[in-house]
Amino acid sequence: MASSRRRSHPGIRRRNTITGYALLAPSLFGVVCFMLLPVLVVVWLSFQSWDLIGPISFVGIDNYRSVLSDGVFGNSLLVTILFVALVVPIQTMIGLGAASLLTRDLPGSAWFRTIYVLPWICAPLALGVVWKWILAPTNGALNALVGARIEWLSDPALALPTVAAVVIWTNVGYVTLFFMAGLLNIPEQILEAARIDGAGPVAMFWQIKIPLLRPTMFFVLVTTVISAFQVFDQVYALTQGGPAHTTDVVAARIYYEAFSAFDLGRAAVMAVVLLVVLVVITLAQQLYFRRRVTYEMD
Amino acid sequence: MKWTRTVGVYLVLGLGASFTLAPFLLSILTAFKTREQFAGQSVLAWPDPFTVENIVRVLTGPAEFGRAVLVTLLAAVLILIGQLVCSILAAYAFARVDFPGRQVLFWVYLSTLMIPPVVLIIPLYLMMTQAGLRNSFWSLVLPFAFASPYAVFLLREYFRGIPQELIDAARLDGANTLDVLVEIVVPLSKPIIATLTLITIVSHWNSFMWPLVVTTGPQWRVVTVATASLQSQFNGNWTLVMAATTLALVPLLALFLVFQRQFVRSITISGFK
Repeated sequence: MASSRRRSHPGIRRRNTITGYALLAPSLFGVVCFMLLPVLVVVWLSFQSWDLIGPISFVGIDNYRSVLSDGVFGNSLLVTILFVALVVPIQTMIGLGAASLLTRDLPGSAWFRTIYVLPWICAPLALGVVWKWILAPTNGALNALVGARIEWLSDPALALPTVAAVVIWTNVGYVTLFFMAGLLNIPEQILEAARIDGAGPVAMFWQIKIPLLRPTMFFVLVTTVISAFQVFDQVYALTQGGPAHTTDVVAARIYYEAFSAFDLGRAAVMAVVLLVVLVVITLAQQLYFRRRVTYEMD
Repeated sequence: MKWTRTVGVYLVLGLGASFTLAPFLLSILTAFKTREQFAGQSVLAWPDPFTVENIVRVLTGPAEFGRAVLVTLLAAVLILIGQLVCSILAAYAFARVDFPGRQVLFWVYLSTLMIPPVVLIIPLYLMMTQAGLRNSFWSLVLPFAFASPYAVFLLREYFRGIPQELIDAARLDGANTLDVLVEIVVPLSKPIIATLTLITIVSHWNSFMWPLVVTTGPQWRVVTVATASLQSQFNGNWTLVMAATTLALVPLLALFLVFQRQFVRSITISGFK
């Protein structure tokens, strides 16, 4: 809240400048050194060749040429898009369904809500390892319970949907929370008016609640698309990108390119592409939806 | 509502809840079973005999899980303190101090929210290597200890809601900026600080990719990295691996059950990831 009264006093103005920058200094140091500088470094590194041990040398656009031509990264982009296309719509629908069941004022709703959120707050890596056992072909819990021997994670046709299912299982509670908040924010008068006009439960849901949930829907879709685009922990725990690169998502590809293949230049190119893709998604969302929405629920 | 429909709703909710809880319960049950029971009986069988041997072996054995727990906690607490101090100072500057460049700098902070963490891994690794800090405790802490633009953003919103009269009154009594922060702003902002505390501790207890990349060997392993390395080392020895996952998951489950309401609030106001 800047007041124009203060602006007129040069002495106070100078003191404000000093105070402002002094307060800002520690956090600005962090932002510059650990966020802005690394972005410049990764762009710079994408034009270099480095194997982690030897010297770093300039190679021009060779890394870009090799990444864009050999198909490995193209496959990763495709796998990631497929993964996002599996995860986001399904978890949004389940979350919306769960939220509409949980906002009916039934006793115990708060407990169910708590249970559904549990996977979201836990370490994705640890949960990935638990699912790795559950889905293991020979002594895994799921196959033991269904009495079959299904290669959930090593069948190329099943691996990506299985990883997606684990991620959906992790995220549903998060999506549910936001839809609950959105549904509870709908003014009672609007629902009452619709009821008086004779709207049944189905019409109420599709014609009143869904349109009013658009801001929530938008927020949920954007945040979950962005986070699904960066999935790593579960992939690392479950499939390590296999079988036959069918779960080789972009974040995993960057990791393996850098720390298994020791080609930091190529990894940097992939990181730059990922950065551009996600910034474009975010900016598109900003254009479409100017104001940031936050929800209070208590 | 007809009672049949109510029963239907509970049935669906109950199925969802069992499906959500099953992996946690399976992990915990298995952690307390002997290898013989795990091999011979149903996965759903109650541990008999009930054994803590797996837990003890994981904590004290070559995986050094006990050490990993300490390293993770210490790193998370240091990151928390650093982030809170730096972010409170910055948020106050953005909320209440009129200095040139304020708008531009705030936009810079907001724009950093668009940078995906995965992208920063490679350059940070290079920078830490150059600084001679690779595989050190500080490499776990430094990149996150100074600022969290997200925390700055949330705190600034909160600080803007504090009545200016309170601050002016303290000023008239001769308080300087730091006094105002310590005596007025911070005490009035306990809810948002509690939110940030939960978010920071949880996300750094859970963080995996950066610690995996920047540390090698057991010395500075965090809980998630120790769990992953245990899994590859004892592949198929699931009672031991589930002891590790149980140790990684249970502290958060406990924390969550105690601070349930605060957690739910935190997630909805921050979109925390």
